[in-house]
Amino acid sequence: MVKFTADELRRIMDYKHNIRNMSVIAHVDHGKSTLTDSLVAAAGIIAQEVAGDVRMTDTRADEAERGITIKSTGISLYYEMTDEALKSYKGERNGNEYLINLIDSPGHVDFSSEVTAALRITDGALVVVDCVEGVCVQTETVLRQALGERIRPVLTVNKMDRCFLELQVDGEEAYQTFQRVIENANVIMATYEDPLLGDVQKDKLWPMLQKLGVTMKSDEKDLMGKPLMKRVMQTWLPASSALLEMMIFHLPSPSTAQKYRVENLYEGPLDDIYANAIRNCDPEGPLMLYVSKMIPASDKGRFFAFGRVFAGKVSTGLKVRIMGPNFVPGEKKDLYVKSVQRTVIWMGKKQETVEDVPCGNTVALVGLDQYITKNATLTNEKEVDAHPIRAMKFSVSPVVRVAVQCKVASDLPKLVEGLKRLAKSDPMVVCSIEESGEHIIAGAGELHLEICLKDLQDDFMGGAEIIKSDPVVSFRETVLEKSCRTVMSKSPNKHNRLYMEARPLEEGLAEAIDDGRIGPRDDPKLRSKILSEEFGWDKDLAKKIWCFGPETTGPNMVVDMCKGVQYLNEIKDSVVAGFQWASKEGALAEENMRGICFEVCDVVLHADAIHRGGGQVIPTARRVIYASQITAKPRLLEPVYLVEIQAPEQALGGIYSVLNQKRGHVFEEIQRPGTPLYNIKAYLPVVESFGFSSTLRAATSGQAFPQCVFDHWDMMSSDPLESGSQAAQLVTDIRKRKGLKEQMTPLSEFEDKL
Amino acid sequence: MDFESNYEIARTAEFLLSRNFTRVALQFPDELLKDSTRVVRALRDQLRSLRKCGAEQNGGNKDVRLFVMADTTYGSCCVDEVGALHVNAECVVHYGHTCLSPTTNLPAFFVIGKAPVSVPNCIKSLSSYALTNDKHILVLYGLEYAYSIKHIREALVEASKLSNSKSELEVRFADVSCSVMNSSDDHRSSTGLVEPAGVCTDDNIFGMAPDNRYKIGSLIWTLPEGHRMEDYLLFWIGSDNPEFATVVLTFNGCDIVRYNPKENRLVTDVSQQKRILKRRYYLVEKAKDANIVGILVGTLGVAGYLHMIHQMKDLITGAGKKVYTLVVGRPNPAKLANFPECDVFIYVSCAQTALLDSKEYLAPVITPFEAMLAFNRGSQWTGAYVMEFQGLINSSLVEVKESEEARFSFLSGGYVEDVDLQGKEIGKEEEGTLALANAMEKVLQLRDNPNSLKKGTSRSGPEYFAARSYQGLDMHYDNSLPEPYLIGRSGRASGYEDEKNRQVEL
Repeated sequence: MVKFTADELRRIMDYKHNIRNMSVIAHVDHGKSTLTDSLVAAAGIIAQEVAGDVRMTDTRADEAERGITIKSTGISLYYEMTDEALKSYKGERNGNEYLINLIDSPGHVDFSSEVTAALRITDGALVVVDCVEGVCVQTETVLRQALGERIRPVLTVNKMDRCFLELQVDGEEAYQTFQRVIENANVIMATYEDPLLGDVQKDKLWPMLQKLGVTMKSDEKDLMGKPLMKRVMQTWLPASSALLEMMIFHLPSPSTAQKYRVENLYEGPLDDIYANAIRNCDPEGPLMLYVSKMIPASDKGRFFAFGRVFAGKVSTGLKVRIMGPNFVPGEKKDLYVKSVQRTVIWMGKKQETVEDVPCGNTVALVGLDQYITKNATLTNEKEVDAHPIRAMKFSVSPVVRVAVQCKVASDLPKLVEGLKRLAKSDPMVVCSIEESGEHIIAGAGELHLEICLKDLQDDFMGGAEIIKSDPVVSFRETVLEKSCRTVMSKSPNKHNRLYMEARPLEEGLAEAIDDGRIGPRDDPKLRSKILSEEFGWDKDLAKKIWCFGPETTGPNMVVDMCKGVQYLNEIKDSVVAGFQWASKEGALAEENMRGICFEVCDVVLHADAIHRGGGQVIPTARRVIYASQITAKPRLLEPVYLVEIQAPEQALGGIYSVLNQKRGHVFEEIQRPGTPLYNIKAYLPVVESFGFSSTLRAATSGQAFPQCVFDHWDMMSSDPLESGSQAAQLVTDIRKRKGLKEQMTPLSEFEDKL
Repeated sequence: MDFESNYEIARTAEFLLSRNFTRVALQFPDELLKDSTRVVRALRDQLRSLRKCGAEQNGGNKDVRLFVMADTTYGSCCVDEVGALHVNAECVVHYGHTCLSPTTNLPAFFVIGKAPVSVPNCIKSLSSYALTNDKHILVLYGLEYAYSIKHIREALVEASKLSNSKSELEVRFADVSCSVMNSSDDHRSSTGLVEPAGVCTDDNIFGMAPDNRYKIGSLIWTLPEGHRMEDYLLFWIGSDNPEFATVVLTFNGCDIVRYNPKENRLVTDVSQQKRILKRRYYLVEKAKDANIVGILVGTLGVAGYLHMIHQMKDLITGAGKKVYTLVVGRPNPAKLANFPECDVFIYVSCAQTALLDSKEYLAPVITPFEAMLAFNRGSQWTGAYVMEFQGLINSSLVEVKESEEARFSFLSGGYVEDVDLQGKEIGKEEEGTLALANAMEKVLQLRDNPNSLKKGTSRSGPEYFAARSYQGLDMHYDNSLPEPYLIGRSGRASGYEDEKNRQVEL
């Protein structure tokens, strides 16, 4: 038990070799927060006797109530190593004192974005795995992410008591189980080999296992008698100090980690002073700070900007340059210069103000919340050449949406303010407004939305009542085949004609565009290489892509197939503008288009420039795009979740019947070796997922708990143009909701005849 | 309906003679144009006969010349003053549906016409609706039904007597302000022989005048002390036209029902209209993100339009955005799409043509009131809505306070920078042409940025054009030889000769 003051902490912060930034990641209910608490107990913030009961990092009432972590929380720990223990440590160090900045993250898939935000600002990850349940879908997801961010993972097998109490296995079998778990984890990591990170699996994990093995063996003796279980737990608790030691040994210090992470972090040239400052973790260098999330402060409406200092120092009163996510170097867009009011270090439930924070540490800043939505890069006021730190990539996407409105119309300003705060408080939630004027909140899943709505009403709107709509899922519009004929539309003055055809993009191409492998910013040569080699495109054709859309980056494109047309380059901008517009609001239900390639087949234009201006061509391009979409067997795409359920055998029947009823289908069912548990993977349409987990719980008497993660877009086979079909009904519903005419605009409105 | 009374020939003639007008323009909307010759003939006959009597009294009146105007440049509900001035008319007689917007130069006389309405049916709907509700009722109506209001009012009193109802049903009726309008220039000197509509607009900055007087379009009414509009149920007699939409939007806090005289039906579902308000809210939010704003001149007659345009310009420049003023006549999607650089248009026009909302428009078209909401930092959407821009003229700009917070955009779901905050320092350093040159230089570097075509990324027209892929004809040919002659297409645009042949082959 070490009592430490803020000053003491601050002192260690300067020893960059003695800092460890790490996050605790795992599948839901594998015991992250509890483990974190025991670590906190070992580092001496809370009293030993309450550890395990009071989750130090679950600061919210609803977190405690539901027993799950919702927001990630950071704690700074202090640990002093003995000289003896450090003998074998080869790395650089400054004395025996160590500072561990720990971030506990949520395990539920709906809150994966919190994990992403936590990983960005840490260098190591403690992967916690339940010894019975083993590596689950979320373990896999977060581990992938950690490796993508070049975070060094260490593995902890938790809940060993379950192994003995529930499964009644003996020591040897248990040992086998652990080994399997670890192997599973290694399999995932093997796919992500990274030369700079080093060979993660062998060097780091096997010693770890041995360490655990040792602890375990001592457990075994006690275990023969069942009532001694409690003592096992106590033997486990000291293991937390072993864990702390292990982190110090095997996790990199910021100065080590930033050497190889700089490539992943910094967007600018890797040889400028900013990159070097990050690489060397230089406290004297220019400030580079990444704000990864905003944390609501106790005074309502304000937020702490929580992030990591990668280089330089941030201090109270410092004027910083805030580069938002849309900042482009050399422009004024999304750029502010403001001063930091206070720098704070965060310790679970309390915050301590410090004078300054040097690189390698996590920090919370006061006074910047009115300029940062979710994340930003901060640097010194004068550092105008600095590029921002790369934006985070989330593993989940906000596919479930609800419309909210206030019960009392005059509360609207409150709602607007509340939504603004909600958008800030969560790295994933998107607050937007629909064409119809409805406010929309989009989240990763039902639970995520539920928490968001609760926060909105209680914390951000002061309890003003809101009405929420049923969850709404956004669809995509696509085509099944090539247009049955070349369609033509005439401009309003009838003097210009555009001929077009639509066809589906090759399989996998839309995903490649989503992932950014193909995009508007590509080198045309590289693009045509990928297109011709992977997707069988003609080399020349690949050079004739006019644009992507919607938003210039979406998974649809316009390709020029014309031969020898006069003035074509003149109308390109207008066609592109019409395409951006049309691909955002498809002809069926004004949903985004996806995976459609529009081919401009021929163009007839008026000889006078004034008669083929934007006014004539933009609306015409939009109409001909709609016409070609309708003639190419349009279809709807619906979002589909990947569901993972873990349940005992007797619950399987219930799971299957619920899945059947909800249009889901199981594609994998395996028994966990050595356990009576089954792992089921299934696809489930997002539309059907509302109320899925409660139905499932009811059908399996609470034994099955699903984890849903957006997986892909699935084409609905029914034809939306055929009245009475399921897709047509869906289209009508969407149109009704959006306040459009219920009847789709007929083809004759878009297509003209010669 | 009787032709003479429908077109109020006698009253018009009297008015024209009483003012001694010699050149009068008759303005017809498209749908009444077919009657114009009959109206002119009848009016001329009437004037002659009247003058004969008049001439006997004070002798020697000049002949009145009548001109028919059709196909107005802007909405046909407004008085086309510019058109009338082409023939040096001294007065405009406006037929058909009107918005009664005050005129600038010419006095106007309005002949609204009369649409049939079944009084008993209307009373029945009104009283049955009133019984289902314990709120007071305010009856508003389309101007073409104004003539029947007297009958309805009487019949209602009768009916309530008959049923000797215990219910002290309170029904109020709005009044029509007047059918004669002096020009606003004129009326300052006029001694107020006729109660001119212009007066109302001047002291009535929408809604509450001191004595609870309300005015919307041409309807005025007063509420007793202590009553608010929200306490009333609105009962609208008329069709679902822009006039009705104006009422729904302005009094969006009230319950509204509509009696449709054509079908003798009570329409209680006005959700479609309510939806418009939400949609407008979205447009305001969208406008907030705009960088380039186009002001569309939608009237050349409504009093104060120039003032409004200037006010809008100041407002937008004050918000750090670029503004262009455009005169395109009646806007349509094709015309506005010729200005793809504009992120939003503000349509300065009379109240009833102000709402232009169609999916076909590339950029949203908003009203001056909405522009005030969007570009005045710190102003909030409270639900109050003003259609007529006259009401806005007096409202001074909200003091642009030094805002502390960056603006949150609901379209992008995050903070967006505000140009005025950022732009200030630039403005100081670079003045005039230098600034332009610098801007151009910056733009030219951006040429290959694919984002530049995304709406709302460029700050001014030149910047937008510089970012286009098409930069105009390229004069630097490699070979200096003249191109050989080519035979061009012949025939008509709907299908040129060569295409017809191709069609046959197919």
